[in-house]
Amino acid sequence: MATTETRGAIRIEDVVKIYDPDGAAVMAVDHCSLDIAAGEICMIVGPSGCGKTTLLNAIAGFHEITSGRITLDGEVLCSTDRPKSRPGSDRVVVFQNGALFPWKTNLDNVAFGPIMQGKLSKAEAREKALSMMADAGLNGVEHNYPGEVSSGVRRRIEIVRALMNDPKVLLLDEPYRALDSLTKSVMHEALLEIYYRNKVTIFFITHDLEEAIFLGHKVAIMTSRPCKPKKVLTVDIPHPRDYGVLTSKRFRELIEETNEAVHEEAVKAFQSGEKEG
Amino acid sequence: MPQQDKQPISPDMMIGILKATMPFQVVSEPLLRRIAAIGWKTTFRAGDTLYEAGGPADDLFIVVAGKIDHELQPGVHARRPMKTLVEGDVFGWAALLEKVPNRLAKAVCTEDALVIRINGEELLKVLESDPNAGDVVMSRFATMITRDYTVPDLIAQLRGIHRKLHARDPQGMNVTLYRVSRWLKSPKPYLMLIGLSIFFGGWYLFVEVLRLPRFREMPGITTVVAEWMSPNPTYGLSIYTGEYYQHILVSIWRVTQAFFLATALGVPLGLFLGWSRKFKDLVFPVFETLRPIPILAWVPIAIVMFVATESAVIFLTFLASFFATALNTMLGVESIDESYVRAAYCLGSNERQVFLHVIVPGSLPFIFTGLQISVGVAWFSLVAAEMVSGQYGLGYVINTSYTTVKYPTIIIGMITLGAVGYVTSAMVRVAGDYMMQWRLRELAMGAN
Repeated sequence: MATTETRGAIRIEDVVKIYDPDGAAVMAVDHCSLDIAAGEICMIVGPSGCGKTTLLNAIAGFHEITSGRITLDGEVLCSTDRPKSRPGSDRVVVFQNGALFPWKTNLDNVAFGPIMQGKLSKAEAREKALSMMADAGLNGVEHNYPGEVSSGVRRRIEIVRALMNDPKVLLLDEPYRALDSLTKSVMHEALLEIYYRNKVTIFFITHDLEEAIFLGHKVAIMTSRPCKPKKVLTVDIPHPRDYGVLTSKRFRELIEETNEAVHEEAVKAFQSGEKEG
Repeated sequence: MPQQDKQPISPDMMIGILKATMPFQVVSEPLLRRIAAIGWKTTFRAGDTLYEAGGPADDLFIVVAGKIDHELQPGVHARRPMKTLVEGDVFGWAALLEKVPNRLAKAVCTEDALVIRINGEELLKVLESDPNAGDVVMSRFATMITRDYTVPDLIAQLRGIHRKLHARDPQGMNVTLYRVSRWLKSPKPYLMLIGLSIFFGGWYLFVEVLRLPRFREMPGITTVVAEWMSPNPTYGLSIYTGEYYQHILVSIWRVTQAFFLATALGVPLGLFLGWSRKFKDLVFPVFETLRPIPILAWVPIAIVMFVATESAVIFLTFLASFFATALNTMLGVESIDESYVRAAYCLGSNERQVFLHVIVPGSLPFIFTGLQISVGVAWFSLVAAEMVSGQYGLGYVINTSYTTVKYPTIIIGMITLGAVGYVTSAMVRVAGDYMMQWRLRELAMGAN
């Protein structure tokens, strides 16, 4: 699982996304630039519907960009000339509402990627999936279907499913949004634990500032539609972190420092009547 | 015993130790890694007692260094009860025995020792997740216990590896039995009986007791039942006449052919309609124009098109089913959450794989809803179609009994049609349950 430090550096350069350019011309992302170092946890914070997901979709290859450029380890994913990247297993998304296939067992879900890519045989993929699930403390639910386990467990399985492909980047789209706060805190530590074992770059979208500062090396606070970084904060609390961080003085200071900026954008989003999304 | 002295151990070191033992020698690396994850190390001083016979058998031990004296109690009937354990020896295996909750031996440290300990329950859980490898480990344990510890086979009965995949999943027949027993415990069957009694009681009351003018020509339930059960039916059709079953069989055979044809053509068509925007734009307008045309309106064309009446009947029965199946399948594809498709692409699937692994299974719930509708409308259309046909089928029975004024026979035909229709649609439902275990289990979770 050891990854070299040069894997997974994302550079977002001057990206613009305009929906329906010939008609309503809604600007979702406005000249957004952001550098994410290899192996870094970068948290994207902004009110719901501010255009954060548009950025993620551009990296993942689900949507085109209007102009600008996004590179991964120097390779162009998408640019003005080639507006849509190809989705690939080097950038795996963990979806907001979860996207484990309900018709496959948890084990078959985790084993899915390498089988599809023809990298491992079915038996090999299952074996690897079993050991990865065990490493993540997920033994006992392998032969259940996703619908039979709690939503917290489903999220963890989905992250393991992504890591099975040894991706350069994990793209997480508010994965813990629907979870209660207790489950959420367990999930945070579980995510960090997984991260310390497999150092991948993490691009994590959230609207929860505490979550962002607790997890991230870097926190980018985005403006509400159109979306671009309003403030980029480097969290100088050393990793590995645990829940003790939440009560530390430095954590509180950082929250106070950034709260204002987040609140401002939330109010702006509320006033402009943006819908959830 | 210094229980508190459990310390974590590095997985790589642990794997090295496991590989040198008899039971774990042949285990694959990933499984070893998982076993390693539940192991601890403990040190003992010379003179420490690790456990006494009769104590709880919780952990399994492996000697890494040092010496331990192991004395099996007389009740075990070991040929050589005393054994000195050294590096690589595995003991404390009572933790894995069937029906033996307690220690069978006394273990005393005679030279400062480092041992690995693994909880028996936890080890079983890990082994259960890979039943084939787990069986191998357990059988090597059994060999070790009988050979190295000279314990008779009878005592060395190990706990079985519980095969989750098969034992825990209700499948096929079990699901059906489970559902039947649940159904009998619910109020459903009793409400159903009450509902049916009200219906038949009302029929009896209105037609035969009150003799309402509206029902003057309607045969009463007693007349119908008497005719149906009569060995010598007045109008020629009862459960004692072979003809009755011939009509049923002919109808079932026609519906079966039409249904399978409709499924074989309707499901693929629906899948492509839902999957390809272009294909839908091309085909759907024609489809939607043909779909509302009633079966009766197709009758003349069917007769003209098909020379053989049998083909015409099957074609007519097929039509409505085909439309219902194709439409529901298409809606099924369209109902699939975009995230599943995106996730599949993210995980490196190509278009064909997305179709096979996401589109087809994802639309199954809708497809089976469609098939249930399909089998229903097939019976529906059959009556219309059998007006065309020569001389057999339940639709034909109803139609000719009308023209020849055999009213009780009409009712017999109708009730039979209803009952057979009900059974076939239940069969489709059972087939659906069988193919969508995941959905059944999800629903079961919701019900709890």
